[in-house]
Amino acid sequence: MPIKTWELDSNFKNEILNEAGGEHLTACYQCSTCTLGCPITEIVPSYNPRKIIQMSLLGMRNEVLSNPDLWICAICQTCTARCPQDVVVGDVLAAIRRIAEKEEEAGNLKIESPRPLFEKAFLHTVEKYGRLYDIGLALEYYPKREGGTVSGIKAMMNDYKDFGMRMAFRGKMGPLGGHGLLKGVLPSKIKKTDVMKKIFEKVEGK
Amino acid sequence: MSVDKLAYYPGCPSEATALDQDISTKAVFKALGVELVEVEDWNCCGAAEAEDPKLVYALNARNLAIAEKDGLDIVTPCSICYYNLARTNNALKADEKLRAEMAEIDPSLSYNGTVTPKHILDVLMNDIGVDELKSKIVKKVEVKVAPYYGCYIGRPLGTAFDDPDDPVLMDQLIELIGGENVPFDYMKTKCCGGPLMMTRADIAFEMARKVLETAKNAGADCVALACPLCGMMLDAKQPDVEKALGIKIGMPVVYITQLLGLALGIDPKSLALGKNTVDTKVILGKVV
Repeated sequence: MPIKTWELDSNFKNEILNEAGGEHLTACYQCSTCTLGCPITEIVPSYNPRKIIQMSLLGMRNEVLSNPDLWICAICQTCTARCPQDVVVGDVLAAIRRIAEKEEEAGNLKIESPRPLFEKAFLHTVEKYGRLYDIGLALEYYPKREGGTVSGIKAMMNDYKDFGMRMAFRGKMGPLGGHGLLKGVLPSKIKKTDVMKKIFEKVEGK
Repeated sequence: MSVDKLAYYPGCPSEATALDQDISTKAVFKALGVELVEVEDWNCCGAAEAEDPKLVYALNARNLAIAEKDGLDIVTPCSICYYNLARTNNALKADEKLRAEMAEIDPSLSYNGTVTPKHILDVLMNDIGVDELKSKIVKKVEVKVAPYYGCYIGRPLGTAFDDPDDPVLMDQLIELIGGENVPFDYMKTKCCGGPLMMTRADIAFEMARKVLETAKNAGADCVALACPLCGMMLDAKQPDVEKALGIKIGMPVVYITQLLGLALGIDPKSLALGKNTVDTKVILGKVV
């Protein structure tokens, strides 16, 4: 891809450096150890954390933030563990994802990946109940991802109908196998949900 | 070091999809004479979905503070919960300002850094230890096992308790109970794909397939693991992986506590061996 020097944003690296986890970005010397050991690169050859870091250092802000590959990191920490320069590669990518999400909230970017929707739906259940509530997560995530309630529920059933039956028959969810009639079907709510609310308000600034 | 009482942090999947891990963990620790005291009113650690470190610290500061009041170290059967508890502990121990920031969110997040978070594999092999385990083992579990460590046992460096590329603790545990480890080196520490399950199932399924088929080709009777997200991906979703990729795998997947429990003479039902998705009968036939 040609680099348009007049479009580079030399401050982009500072934006990342200021995000938690992004502090070691500039130590990268492009050895590619992160990418060579990456299990995602094995499956999606275009996926290249080294390149994302170099583009960030050069200031290719738009190209980096709109790169769909940002959203397929599995956070397995292999890159981080192997980096000879102590760049916390996984956290750097997470920092870049957070910048992209802020840009989307400001209306400057459209993120195609459903990952932010998924993470938000997950955390909403934690904020509300103090623990993950799988069904609540799915009921928020799928309709948002599919852009409608009916199509969302359809996609959810497609992914989880068989799975739900398996969990029920194994007594992991529902009435079989003890541990309560509605185990896993209703949310497990902690007592101090007010503290959860405070955490999300103060940390996430909501 | 011997240990007789620990705070137990079960993690969210323990109440449903990883009920088998929860039940078998409790049974094994009971048989080993280690009391587990559940962290009272514990909250979610943020898993892989809380990407803001501050949020992870706040969520886990509360859990650590509860264990600190009881004066107990925390043990968890989940690798991601362990990673989040341990990195929060490291960050808060090293940074007084961060501790003050947490306490300011809510007084119940005031944590002084006196708790050591541990993963069950670490407690079993390093705290309870091989000699103590040996003295309690009454049966041989003669299965061929693919020991699968996944992501957070050997990395990243600040929280890992085993080697990043050549971890050994689970291998040693398998040998201890009379099992045989099949050649599985390259796959031991590969990611199962779990974190991508809901957003890029195509990639996640391919990652799971690699782990499961490598185990199968190596001649394993089962895959052993120590994380409920790995369990979800490799066991509970295995039929979905097979369907999506048009293949048949049929690889039993069990938690290390289920295998160890059999060696300790605990009956299979008390180890929830009927709750795994892929049938585990092949293992039961090899307990002597």
